[in-house]
Amino acid sequence: MIELKGIHKSFKNLEVLKGVDLTVQEGQTVALIGASGSGKSTLLRCINLLETPDKGKIVIGNYSFDADNMKAAVKREARKRTAMVFQNFGLFENKTALENVTEALIVVKKMAKADAEEVGKQYLEKVGLLGKKDHYPNALSGGQKQRVAIARALALEPKIVLFDEPTSALDPELVQEVLGVIKNISKERVTMLIVTHEMDFAFDVADQVAFMDNGTILEVNTPKELFAHPKNKRTRQFINRYTQRFSYTI
Amino acid sequence: MGKIFSVEFMLEIIPDILKGIPYTISIAVVAFFVGISIGFFGAIIKIYKIPVLKKIVGVYVSFVRGTPLLVQILLIYYGIPILLRIINQQFGTTFDVSKIPAMVFMFAAFSISAGAYLTESIRAALLAVDKGQMEAAYSVGMNTFQGMTRIVIPQAIKVGIPVFANFFIGLLKDTSLAFAASVPEIMGRAKIEAGRASRFFEAYIAAALIYWGICILFERLVVVLERKVRKNEGGVEK
Ligand SMILES: Nc1ncnc2c1ncn2[C@@H]1O[C@H](COP(=O)(O)OP(=O)(O)OP(=O)(O)O)[C@@H](O)[C@H]1O
Ligand SMILES: [Mg+2]
Repeated sequence: MIELKGIHKSFKNLEVLKGVDLTVQEGQTVALIGASGSGKSTLLRCINLLETPDKGKIVIGNYSFDADNMKAAVKREARKRTAMVFQNFGLFENKTALENVTEALIVVKKMAKADAEEVGKQYLEKVGLLGKKDHYPNALSGGQKQRVAIARALALEPKIVLFDEPTSALDPELVQEVLGVIKNISKERVTMLIVTHEMDFAFDVADQVAFMDNGTILEVNTPKELFAHPKNKRTRQFINRYTQRFSYTI
Repeated sequence: MGKIFSVEFMLEIIPDILKGIPYTISIAVVAFFVGISIGFFGAIIKIYKIPVLKKIVGVYVSFVRGTPLLVQILLIYYGIPILLRIINQQFGTTFDVSKIPAMVFMFAAFSISAGAYLTESIRAALLAVDKGQMEAAYSVGMNTFQGMTRIVIPQAIKVGIPVFANFFIGLLKDTSLAFAASVPEIMGRAKIEAGRASRFFEAYIAAALIYWGICILFERLVVVLERKVRKNEGGVEK
Protein backbone atom coordinates (compact mmCIF):
# COMPACT_ATOMS: atom_id res chain seq x y z
CA MET A 1 0.00 0.00 0.00
CA ILE A 2 1.18 3.50 -0.60
CA GLU A 3 -0.13 6.58 1.03
CA LEU A 4 0.47 10.26 0.34
CA LYS A 5 -0.41 12.77 3.02
CA GLY A 6 -0.52 16.49 2.41
CA ILE A 7 2.08 16.65 -0.34
CA HIS A 8 3.10 20.19 -1.22
CA LYS A 9 5.46 21.23 -3.96
CA SER A 10 6.30 24.63 -5.40
CA PHE A 11 8.62 25.68 -8.19
CA LYS A 12 9.82 29.15 -7.28
CA ASN A 13 6.55 31.08 -6.79
CA LEU A 14 4.38 28.55 -8.54
CA GLU A 15 2.59 26.24 -6.12
CA VAL A 16 1.99 23.10 -8.14
CA LEU A 17 0.91 20.62 -5.46
CA LYS A 18 -1.30 22.08 -2.78
CA GLY A 19 -1.68 19.27 -0.28
CA VAL A 20 -2.28 16.02 -2.11
CA ASP A 21 -3.74 13.06 -0.25
CA LEU A 22 -3.98 9.75 -2.03
CA THR A 23 -3.96 6.10 -1.11
CA VAL A 24 -3.25 3.22 -3.44
CA GLN A 25 -4.13 -0.14 -1.94
CA GLU A 26 -1.86 -3.09 -2.47
CA GLY A 27 -2.58 -4.79 -5.79
CA GLN A 28 -4.74 -1.96 -7.05
CA THR A 29 -4.47 0.04 -10.22
CA VAL A 30 -5.28 3.69 -9.77
CA ALA A 31 -5.64 5.98 -12.77
CA LEU A 32 -4.77 9.61 -12.22
CA ILE A 33 -6.58 11.94 -14.60
CA GLY A 34 -6.80 15.69 -14.86
CA ALA A 35 -6.19 18.65 -17.09
CA SER A 36 -2.77 19.49 -18.44
CA GLY A 37 -0.75 21.42 -15.88
CA SER A 38 -2.79 20.20 -12.92
CA GLY A 39 0.34 18.63 -11.39
CA LYS A 40 0.03 14.94 -12.24
CA SER A 41 3.61 14.46 -13.41
CA THR A 42 4.93 16.49 -10.52
CA LEU A 43 3.04 14.25 -8.11
CA LEU A 44 4.56 11.09 -9.60
CA ARG A 45 8.00 12.67 -9.54
CA CYS A 46 7.51 13.53 -5.88
CA ILE A 47 6.65 9.92 -5.07
CA ASN A 48 9.93 8.57 -6.39
CA LEU A 49 11.72 11.73 -5.35
CA LEU A 50 12.92 12.94 -8.72
CA GLU A 51 11.43 16.09 -7.20
CA THR A 52 11.69 16.66 -3.49
CA PRO A 53 8.33 17.53 -1.93
CA ASP A 54 8.33 20.67 0.24
CA LYS A 55 5.93 19.26 2.78
CA GLY A 56 4.07 16.07 3.45
CA LYS A 57 4.50 12.43 4.26
CA ILE A 58 4.84 9.39 2.04
CA VAL A 59 4.31 5.80 3.09
CA ILE A 60 5.45 3.04 0.77
CA GLY A 61 4.64 -0.33 2.25
CA ASN A 62 6.43 -0.44 5.59
CA TYR A 63 8.76 2.43 4.68
CA SER A 64 7.65 5.92 5.48
CA PHE A 65 9.41 9.23 5.22
CA ASP A 66 8.77 12.86 5.63
CA ALA A 67 9.54 15.79 3.37
CA ASP A 68 11.51 17.30 6.25
CA ASN A 69 13.97 14.43 6.15
CA MET A 70 15.26 14.08 2.61
CA LYS A 71 18.74 12.70 2.94
CA ALA A 72 20.33 10.97 -0.04
CA ALA A 73 19.92 7.62 1.73
CA VAL A 74 16.19 8.18 2.17
CA LYS A 75 15.86 9.02 -1.49
CA ARG A 76 17.65 5.85 -2.48
CA GLU A 77 15.54 3.71 -0.19
CA ALA A 78 12.36 5.28 -1.52
CA ARG A 79 13.47 4.81 -5.11
CA LYS A 80 14.26 1.15 -4.50
CA ARG A 81 10.61 0.70 -3.56
CA THR A 82 9.18 2.47 -6.58
CA ALA A 83 9.67 2.24 -10.30
CA MET A 84 8.77 4.73 -12.97
CA VAL A 85 7.70 4.34 -16.58
CA PHE A 86 8.29 7.61 -18.38
CA GLN A 87 6.40 9.21 -21.21
CA ASN A 88 9.60 9.26 -23.28
CA PHE A 89 10.61 5.73 -22.25
CA GLY A 90 13.91 6.69 -20.61
CA LEU A 91 15.64 3.52 -21.74
CA PHE A 92 19.41 3.52 -21.27
CA GLU A 93 20.57 4.22 -24.83
CA ASN A 94 23.92 2.49 -24.34
CA LYS A 95 22.37 -0.77 -23.13
CA THR A 96 20.53 -3.55 -24.94
CA ALA A 97 16.93 -4.36 -24.07
CA LEU A 98 18.07 -7.11 -21.74
CA GLU A 99 20.77 -4.95 -20.15
CA ASN A 100 18.20 -2.24 -19.56
CA VAL A 101 16.29 -4.69 -17.42
CA THR A 102 19.29 -6.28 -15.69
CA GLU A 103 21.34 -3.12 -15.06
CA ALA A 104 19.66 -2.10 -11.82
CA LEU A 105 19.28 -5.70 -10.68
CA ILE A 106 23.06 -6.05 -10.87
CA VAL A 107 24.14 -2.57 -9.78
CA VAL A 108 21.47 -1.71 -7.23
CA LYS A 109 20.13 -5.06 -6.05
CA LYS A 110 23.59 -6.70 -6.28
CA MET A 111 22.20 -9.72 -8.02
CA ALA A 112 24.67 -12.07 -9.74
CA LYS A 113 24.83 -11.39 -13.46
CA ALA A 114 23.56 -14.81 -14.48
CA ASP A 115 20.60 -14.60 -12.10
CA ALA A 116 19.80 -11.09 -13.24
CA GLU A 117 19.77 -12.28 -16.84
CA GLU A 118 17.35 -15.06 -15.99
CA VAL A 119 15.03 -12.58 -14.32
CA GLY A 120 15.50 -10.12 -17.16
CA LYS A 121 14.54 -12.68 -19.78
CA GLN A 122 11.43 -13.64 -17.82
CA TYR A 123 10.25 -10.06 -17.78
CA LEU A 124 11.06 -9.46 -21.44
CA GLU A 125 9.07 -12.59 -22.18
CA LYS A 126 6.19 -11.17 -20.17
CA VAL A 127 6.06 -8.06 -22.36
CA GLY A 128 6.54 -10.18 -25.48
CA LEU A 129 10.03 -8.95 -26.35
CA LEU A 130 12.38 -11.78 -25.52
CA GLY A 131 13.20 -11.97 -29.22
CA LYS A 132 14.55 -8.40 -29.07
CA LYS A 133 16.73 -8.87 -26.02
CA ASP A 134 19.97 -7.96 -27.81
CA HIS A 135 18.57 -4.91 -29.56
CA TYR A 136 19.58 -1.43 -28.56
CA PRO A 137 16.81 1.10 -27.94
CA ASN A 138 17.45 2.87 -31.24
CA ALA A 139 16.51 -0.35 -33.04
CA LEU A 140 13.16 -0.64 -31.25
CA SER A 141 9.82 0.96 -32.10
CA GLY A 142 8.27 3.35 -29.58
CA GLY A 143 5.86 0.68 -28.43
CA GLN A 144 8.66 -1.83 -28.00
CA LYS A 145 10.76 0.68 -26.08
CA GLN A 146 7.90 1.32 -23.71
CA ARG A 147 7.37 -2.40 -23.20
CA VAL A 148 11.06 -2.81 -22.34
CA ALA A 149 10.69 0.10 -19.91
CA ILE A 150 7.75 -1.69 -18.32
CA ALA A 151 9.78 -4.89 -18.05
CA ARG A 152 12.60 -2.90 -16.44
CA ALA A 153 10.20 -1.42 -13.90
CA LEU A 154 8.53 -4.73 -13.05
CA ALA A 155 11.81 -6.60 -12.68
CA LEU A 156 12.67 -4.39 -9.72
CA GLU A 157 9.61 -5.80 -7.95
CA PRO A 158 8.73 -2.39 -6.57
CA LYS A 159 5.93 -1.71 -4.14
CA ILE A 160 4.39 0.48 -6.78
CA VAL A 161 4.92 1.16 -10.46
CA LEU A 162 4.35 4.75 -11.51
CA PHE A 163 3.36 5.41 -15.12
CA ASP A 164 3.46 8.93 -16.51
CA GLU A 165 1.37 8.99 -19.68
CA PRO A 166 3.00 5.81 -20.96
CA THR A 167 1.34 5.99 -24.38
CA SER A 168 1.16 9.67 -25.20
CA ALA A 169 4.49 9.75 -27.05
CA LEU A 170 3.46 6.79 -29.22
CA ASP A 171 2.10 6.65 -32.74
CA PRO A 172 -1.61 5.82 -32.52
CA GLU A 173 -1.19 2.34 -33.93
CA LEU A 174 1.30 1.46 -31.18
CA VAL A 175 -0.82 2.59 -28.25
CA GLN A 176 -2.84 -0.58 -27.93
CA GLU A 177 0.14 -2.95 -27.66
CA VAL A 178 1.41 -1.00 -24.66
CA LEU A 179 -2.00 -0.62 -23.03
CA GLY A 180 -2.49 -4.36 -23.54
CA VAL A 181 0.70 -5.10 -21.61
CA ILE A 182 -0.32 -2.77 -18.78
CA LYS A 183 -3.76 -4.36 -18.66
CA ASN A 184 -2.19 -7.79 -18.30
CA ILE A 185 0.07 -6.79 -15.42
CA SER A 186 -2.85 -5.05 -13.77
CA LYS A 187 -4.57 -8.46 -13.71
CA GLU A 188 -1.57 -9.83 -11.86
CA ARG A 189 -2.30 -7.37 -9.08
CA VAL A 190 0.81 -5.29 -9.45
CA THR A 191 0.23 -2.02 -7.57
CA MET A 192 0.15 0.79 -10.10
CA LEU A 193 -0.51 4.49 -10.33
CA ILE A 194 -1.07 5.54 -13.93
CA VAL A 195 -1.32 9.08 -15.22
CA THR A 196 -3.28 8.85 -18.43
CA HIS A 197 -5.37 10.75 -20.90
CA GLU A 198 -6.75 7.48 -22.27
CA MET A 199 -10.16 7.55 -20.59
CA ASP A 200 -11.36 4.30 -22.15
CA PHE A 201 -8.30 2.61 -20.74
CA ALA A 202 -8.77 4.14 -17.29
CA PHE A 203 -12.37 3.03 -17.29
CA ASP A 204 -11.43 -0.44 -18.41
CA VAL A 205 -8.40 -1.18 -16.23
CA ALA A 206 -8.41 0.98 -13.10
CA ASP A 207 -9.82 -0.09 -9.77
CA GLN A 208 -9.98 3.56 -8.74
CA VAL A 209 -9.80 6.77 -10.70
CA ALA A 210 -8.46 9.91 -9.07
CA PHE A 211 -9.24 13.29 -10.57
CA MET A 212 -6.63 15.94 -10.04
CA ASP A 213 -7.27 19.61 -10.51
CA ASN A 214 -5.06 22.57 -9.81
CA GLY A 215 -2.73 20.84 -7.40
CA THR A 216 -5.17 18.79 -5.36
CA ILE A 217 -7.09 15.57 -5.78
CA LEU A 218 -10.72 16.50 -5.95
CA GLU A 219 -12.37 13.14 -6.26
CA VAL A 220 -11.49 9.46 -6.06
CA ASN A 221 -13.92 6.75 -6.97
CA THR A 222 -14.44 3.60 -8.96
CA PRO A 223 -14.35 4.29 -12.68
CA LYS A 224 -18.04 3.48 -13.06
CA GLU A 225 -19.04 5.97 -10.39
CA LEU A 226 -16.56 8.67 -11.29
CA PHE A 227 -17.32 8.67 -14.99
CA ALA A 228 -21.09 8.17 -14.63
CA HIS A 229 -21.79 10.28 -11.55
CA PRO A 230 -18.99 12.73 -10.93
CA LYS A 231 -19.74 14.53 -7.68
CA ASN A 232 -17.52 17.54 -8.12
CA LYS A 233 -18.36 20.23 -10.64
CA ARG A 234 -14.79 20.38 -11.96
CA THR A 235 -14.75 16.62 -12.40
CA ARG A 236 -18.02 16.78 -14.27
CA GLN A 237 -16.69 19.43 -16.64
CA PHE A 238 -13.56 17.40 -17.28
CA ILE A 239 -15.48 14.16 -17.81
CA ASN A 240 -18.01 15.84 -20.08
CA ARG A 241 -15.33 16.58 -22.60
CA TYR A 242 -14.93 12.84 -23.02
CA THR A 243 -18.61 11.91 -22.79
CA GLN A 244 -18.97 11.88 -26.51
CA ARG A 245 -16.44 9.09 -26.73
CA PHE A 246 -17.71 7.37 -23.64
CA SER A 247 -21.27 6.90 -24.82
CA TYR A 248 -19.88 4.13 -26.98
CA THR A 249 -18.00 2.30 -24.30
CA ILE A 250 -20.32 2.47 -21.31
CA MET B 1 74.36 26.80 -52.18
CA GLY B 2 73.93 25.50 -55.71
CA LYS B 3 70.40 24.10 -55.88
CA ILE B 4 67.29 26.14 -55.21
CA PHE B 5 65.66 23.16 -53.52
CA SER B 6 67.79 20.24 -52.42
CA VAL B 7 65.76 17.03 -52.21
CA GLU B 8 68.93 15.22 -51.16
CA PHE B 9 69.34 17.46 -48.12
CA MET B 10 65.73 17.01 -47.16
CA LEU B 11 65.99 13.22 -47.34
CA GLU B 12 69.27 13.32 -45.48
CA ILE B 13 67.89 15.15 -42.47
CA ILE B 14 64.60 13.25 -42.23
CA PRO B 15 66.04 10.42 -40.08
CA ASP B 16 67.31 12.95 -37.57
CA ILE B 17 64.02 14.84 -37.48
CA LEU B 18 62.18 11.55 -36.99
CA LYS B 19 64.05 11.18 -33.69
CA GLY B 20 61.87 14.00 -32.44
CA ILE B 21 58.72 11.89 -32.76
CA PRO B 22 58.89 10.33 -29.27
CA TYR B 23 58.99 13.83 -27.74
CA THR B 24 56.10 15.01 -29.88
CA ILE B 25 53.96 11.97 -29.17
CA SER B 26 54.71 11.81 -25.47
CA ILE B 27 53.87 15.47 -24.90
CA ALA B 28 50.61 15.06 -26.82
CA VAL B 29 49.63 11.82 -25.11
CA VAL B 30 50.48 12.96 -21.58
CA ALA B 31 48.77 16.32 -22.08
CA PHE B 32 45.73 14.60 -23.55
CA PHE B 33 45.19 12.19 -20.68
CA VAL B 34 46.05 14.62 -17.90
CA GLY B 35 43.90 17.16 -19.73
CA ILE B 36 40.99 14.69 -19.87
CA SER B 37 41.26 14.19 -16.11
CA ILE B 38 41.43 17.91 -15.37
CA GLY B 39 38.68 18.54 -17.89
CA PHE B 40 36.43 15.92 -16.35
CA PHE B 41 36.65 17.50 -12.91
CA GLY B 42 36.29 20.95 -14.42
CA ALA B 43 33.19 19.85 -16.30
CA ILE B 44 31.60 18.24 -13.23
CA ILE B 45 32.32 21.37 -11.19
CA LYS B 46 30.69 23.54 -13.84
CA ILE B 47 27.70 21.27 -14.40
CA TYR B 48 26.95 20.83 -10.69
CA LYS B 49 27.79 24.50 -10.10
CA ILE B 50 29.95 23.73 -7.07
CA PRO B 51 30.50 27.02 -5.21
CA VAL B 52 33.98 28.61 -5.10
CA LEU B 53 35.49 25.85 -7.29
CA LYS B 54 33.15 26.96 -10.05
CA LYS B 55 34.75 30.43 -9.94
CA ILE B 56 38.27 29.03 -9.97
CA VAL B 57 37.50 26.81 -12.96
CA GLY B 58 35.94 29.80 -14.71
CA VAL B 59 39.08 31.92 -14.30
CA TYR B 60 41.33 29.01 -15.30
CA VAL B 61 39.42 28.28 -18.50
CA SER B 62 39.14 31.95 -19.37
CA PHE B 63 42.87 32.57 -18.83
CA VAL B 64 44.02 29.60 -20.87
CA ARG B 65 41.64 30.35 -23.70
CA GLY B 66 42.52 34.00 -23.64
CA THR B 67 46.32 33.67 -23.88
CA PRO B 68 48.50 32.12 -26.59
CA LEU B 69 49.82 28.65 -25.88
CA LEU B 70 53.36 29.87 -26.59
CA VAL B 71 53.01 32.44 -23.81
CA GLN B 72 51.73 29.79 -21.41
CA ILE B 73 54.66 27.54 -22.25
CA LEU B 74 57.14 30.32 -21.55
CA LEU B 75 55.34 31.30 -18.36
CA ILE B 76 55.63 27.74 -17.07
CA TYR B 77 59.19 27.34 -18.32
CA TYR B 78 60.42 30.46 -16.59
CA GLY B 79 57.79 30.63 -13.86
CA ILE B 80 58.23 27.25 -12.20
CA PRO B 81 61.96 27.80 -11.50
CA ILE B 82 61.15 31.13 -9.87
CA LEU B 83 58.41 29.49 -7.85
CA LEU B 84 60.84 26.79 -6.72
CA ARG B 85 63.41 29.39 -5.74
CA ILE B 86 60.80 31.16 -3.62
CA ILE B 87 59.85 27.87 -1.99
CA ASN B 88 63.50 27.11 -1.30
CA GLN B 89 63.96 30.53 0.27
CA GLN B 90 60.80 30.32 2.37
CA PHE B 91 61.16 26.80 3.64
CA GLY B 92 64.89 26.29 3.46
CA THR B 93 64.47 23.41 1.03
CA THR B 94 66.98 22.68 -1.72
CA PHE B 95 65.10 21.69 -4.86
CA ASP B 96 67.47 21.90 -7.77
CA VAL B 97 65.64 23.42 -10.71
CA SER B 98 68.38 22.58 -13.16
CA LYS B 99 67.84 18.87 -12.53
CA ILE B 100 64.26 19.04 -13.82
CA PRO B 101 64.19 18.04 -17.49
CA ALA B 102 62.57 20.51 -19.88
CA MET B 103 60.06 17.83 -20.82
CA VAL B 104 58.50 18.01 -17.35
CA PHE B 105 57.75 21.66 -17.91
CA MET B 106 56.24 20.79 -21.26
CA PHE B 107 54.03 18.10 -19.76
CA ALA B 108 52.81 20.63 -17.22
CA ALA B 109 52.22 23.44 -19.70
CA PHE B 110 50.43 21.36 -22.32
CA SER B 111 48.35 19.52 -19.71
CA ILE B 112 47.18 22.73 -18.11
CA SER B 113 46.27 24.11 -21.49
CA ALA B 114 44.52 20.92 -22.62
CA GLY B 115 42.62 20.70 -19.33
CA ALA B 116 40.99 24.05 -19.93
CA TYR B 117 39.85 23.30 -23.46
CA LEU B 118 38.71 19.80 -22.51
CA THR B 119 36.72 21.20 -19.57
CA GLU B 120 34.51 22.86 -22.14
CA SER B 121 34.38 19.89 -24.55
CA ILE B 122 33.63 17.39 -21.81
CA ARG B 123 31.00 19.64 -20.34
CA ALA B 124 29.34 19.89 -23.75
CA ALA B 125 29.54 16.12 -24.26
CA LEU B 126 28.01 15.40 -20.86
CA LEU B 127 25.23 17.91 -21.43
CA ALA B 128 24.54 16.42 -24.86
CA VAL B 129 23.35 13.26 -23.13
CA ASP B 130 19.60 13.45 -22.60
CA LYS B 131 18.70 14.59 -19.09
CA GLY B 132 16.17 11.78 -18.96
CA GLN B 133 19.02 9.25 -18.86
CA MET B 134 20.13 10.34 -15.40
CA GLU B 135 16.54 10.50 -14.19
CA ALA B 136 15.96 6.98 -15.47
CA ALA B 137 19.09 5.89 -13.58
CA TYR B 138 17.80 7.52 -10.40
CA SER B 139 14.36 6.00 -10.91
CA VAL B 140 15.76 2.46 -10.82
CA GLY B 141 17.65 3.26 -7.61
CA MET B 142 21.12 4.15 -8.87
CA ASN B 143 23.08 6.89 -7.16
CA THR B 144 24.72 9.78 -8.99
CA PHE B 145 28.06 7.99 -9.30
CA GLN B 146 26.51 4.83 -10.73
CA GLY B 147 24.33 6.79 -13.13
CA MET B 148 27.30 8.84 -14.27
CA THR B 149 29.77 6.00 -14.77
CA ARG B 150 27.40 3.41 -16.20
CA ILE B 151 24.92 5.44 -18.21
CA VAL B 152 25.88 9.06 -18.84
CA ILE B 153 29.67 8.94 -19.35
CA PRO B 154 29.64 6.05 -21.85
CA GLN B 155 27.14 7.99 -23.94
CA ALA B 156 29.10 11.22 -23.57
CA ILE B 157 32.27 9.50 -24.78
CA LYS B 158 30.46 8.38 -27.89
CA VAL B 159 29.20 11.89 -28.53
CA GLY B 160 32.61 13.34 -27.80
CA ILE B 161 34.90 11.07 -29.82
CA PRO B 162 35.04 13.29 -32.93
CA VAL B 163 35.70 16.37 -30.79
CA PHE B 164 38.35 14.67 -28.68
CA ALA B 165 40.02 13.26 -31.79
CA ASN B 166 40.17 16.69 -33.38
CA PHE B 167 41.55 18.10 -30.19
CA PHE B 168 44.27 15.47 -30.10
CA ILE B 169 45.29 16.26 -33.66
CA GLY B 170 45.50 19.92 -32.74
CA LEU B 171 47.57 18.98 -29.73
CA LEU B 172 50.00 16.94 -31.85
CA LYS B 173 50.64 19.96 -33.99
CA ASP B 174 50.82 22.38 -31.07
CA THR B 175 53.68 20.36 -29.57
CA SER B 176 55.85 22.09 -32.19
CA LEU B 177 55.81 25.07 -29.83
CA ALA B 178 57.91 23.07 -27.38
CA PHE B 179 60.98 24.07 -29.40
CA ALA B 180 60.68 27.39 -27.55
CA ALA B 181 61.86 25.51 -24.46
CA SER B 182 64.63 23.78 -26.44
CA VAL B 183 62.90 20.41 -26.43
CA PRO B 184 64.34 18.36 -29.30
CA GLU B 185 61.00 17.41 -30.81
CA ILE B 186 60.25 17.41 -34.53
CA MET B 187 60.20 21.17 -34.96
CA GLY B 188 63.18 21.74 -32.69
CA ARG B 189 65.29 19.32 -34.72
CA ALA B 190 64.11 20.76 -38.01
CA LYS B 191 65.18 24.20 -36.85
CA ILE B 192 68.62 22.97 -35.85
CA GLU B 193 69.13 21.19 -39.17
CA ALA B 194 67.85 24.20 -41.03
CA GLY B 195 70.28 26.51 -39.31
CA ARG B 196 73.20 24.11 -39.73
CA ALA B 197 72.97 24.07 -43.54
CA SER B 198 71.06 27.31 -44.00
CA ARG B 199 68.44 25.31 -45.89
CA PHE B 200 65.33 26.40 -44.06
CA PHE B 201 62.69 25.51 -46.60
CA GLU B 202 63.85 21.91 -47.01
CA ALA B 203 63.94 21.38 -43.25
CA TYR B 204 60.47 22.78 -42.71
CA ILE B 205 59.04 20.80 -45.63
CA ALA B 206 60.49 17.69 -44.02
CA ALA B 207 58.91 18.62 -40.68
CA ALA B 208 55.58 19.35 -42.36
CA LEU B 209 55.57 15.97 -44.09
CA ILE B 210 56.31 14.20 -40.84
CA TYR B 211 53.52 15.99 -38.94
CA TRP B 212 51.17 15.30 -41.80
CA GLY B 213 52.08 11.62 -41.79
CA ILE B 214 51.49 11.28 -38.06
CA CYS B 215 48.13 13.00 -38.31
CA ILE B 216 47.02 10.80 -41.21
CA LEU B 217 47.94 7.69 -39.22
CA PHE B 218 46.04 8.98 -36.24
CA GLU B 219 42.97 9.85 -38.29
CA ARG B 220 42.94 6.28 -39.60
CA LEU B 221 42.99 5.08 -36.01
CA VAL B 222 40.04 7.28 -35.13
CA VAL B 223 38.01 5.95 -38.04
CA VAL B 224 38.55 2.41 -36.76
CA LEU B 225 37.67 3.47 -33.22
CA GLU B 226 34.51 5.25 -34.33
CA ARG B 227 33.42 2.28 -36.37
CA LYS B 228 33.83 0.13 -33.28
CA VAL B 229 31.81 2.47 -31.09
CA ARG B 230 29.11 3.01 -33.69
CA LYS B 231 28.67 -0.69 -34.24
CA ASN B 232 25.83 -0.63 -31.74
CA GLU B 233 23.89 1.77 -33.84
CA GLY B 234 22.98 -0.99 -36.22
CA GLY B 235 20.77 -1.92 -33.31
CA VAL B 236 21.81 -5.44 -32.43
CA GLU B 237 24.69 -6.40 -30.21
CA LYS B 238 27.30 -8.27 -32.19
N1 LIG C 1 10.86 21.69 -12.94
C1 LIG C 1 9.88 22.61 -13.01
N2 LIG C 1 10.16 23.91 -12.85
C2 LIG C 1 9.19 24.84 -12.91
N3 LIG C 1 7.90 24.57 -13.13
C3 LIG C 1 7.55 23.29 -13.31
C4 LIG C 1 8.52 22.23 -13.26
N4 LIG C 1 7.88 21.07 -13.48
C5 LIG C 1 6.58 21.36 -13.66
N5 LIG C 1 6.36 22.70 -13.55
C6 LIG C 1 5.06 23.38 -13.66
O1 LIG C 1 4.19 22.73 -12.80
C7 LIG C 1 2.88 22.68 -13.36
C8 LIG C 1 2.37 21.25 -13.33
O2 LIG C 1 3.17 20.50 -14.22
P1 LIG C 1 2.96 18.94 -14.41
O3 LIG C 1 3.94 18.51 -15.42
O4 LIG C 1 2.98 18.26 -13.09
O5 LIG C 1 1.49 18.86 -15.00
P2 LIG C 1 0.72 17.62 -15.61
O6 LIG C 1 -0.54 17.51 -14.87
O7 LIG C 1 1.59 16.43 -15.63
O8 LIG C 1 0.42 18.11 -17.08
P3 LIG C 1 0.41 17.29 -18.45
O9 LIG C 1 -0.89 16.58 -18.52
O10 LIG C 1 0.53 18.35 -19.48
O11 LIG C 1 1.58 16.36 -18.43
C9 LIG C 1 2.98 23.28 -14.73
O12 LIG C 1 2.52 24.61 -14.67
C10 LIG C 1 4.44 23.24 -15.04
O13 LIG C 1 4.80 24.31 -15.85
MG1 LIG D 1 2.57 15.34 -17.17
